[in-house]
Amino acid sequence: MMILRESIIMKIHYGTAIGALFLTVIHIMMRMTQDFHESLEYENVIANYESVGYALLLELLLILISVHGFNGLRVILLEMNQGPIYEKVVTYGCLAGMAALIAYGSRTIIMTNMGMV
Amino acid sequence: MAKETGAREGLKGWLNPGKIGKFGIERLAWLLMRLTGLGLLAYFIGHIYETSHILDGKAVWDKSLEMTQTTEGHLFLALVIGMCVFHTGNGIRLMVAQMGYGLGKAERPDYPYKPQSINMKGKACIYATLGMAALAMWYGMAVMFA
Repeated sequence: MMILRESIIMKIHYGTAIGALFLTVIHIMMRMTQDFHESLEYENVIANYESVGYALLLELLLILISVHGFNGLRVILLEMNQGPIYEKVVTYGCLAGMAALIAYGSRTIIMTNMGMV
Repeated sequence: MAKETGAREGLKGWLNPGKIGKFGIERLAWLLMRLTGLGLLAYFIGHIYETSHILDGKAVWDKSLEMTQTTEGHLFLALVIGMCVFHTGNGIRLMVAQMGYGLGKAERPDYPYKPQSINMKGKACIYATLGMAALAMWYGMAVMFA
């Protein structure tokens, strides 16, 4: 298995942070295009998801935040304790959590975008 | 040889207020960065689960949305906004510092050995970030309670 150096992982961490920041601003601005409460109504949210561009933005945002969030969790857990087995469990656990969250979120985005609601 | 235990205090070490008093605002920023990161990850997981209710139809979506349409829900979302702004602002400060900006020039270590990197620029950034987080929370509440 390919092993990434910690310096490369931190570059990914910062890159995903900057990317997620820009996409989150767009995501929030979408709620401001109309009244906040109105924008969260079922029909409006479905219309958002059915737009391919916005669905792609949500998918990218999901991936960026999941990678950043679970890598951050890994860093915190490795700061608190160390050891070869512990580090492996934490790293693979975080990778599994990240993959599960991306899969679950993608399911919502894809199914709603394709009108399977 | 005595076993080194200094780095193994875990959560007790994190939350010890004496350490914030001893090491200053930088230590508080370090702690808040971790707490807001964990809080935002928990919120993000909850947000992904909550939005998946769109697949169950309008009734379930409206019911799930009702949770955030209460006073407590608005206050919780305001807290999320504050965590998000602090985590972003402090993260940008750390990235800039890791690129070597704002750390001061290296000089001969003389008594009282004050590190050049812990200077007023960094402290001012932390205070500004805390202020921005408070302002964003206030703005968020103004929108949600309107």
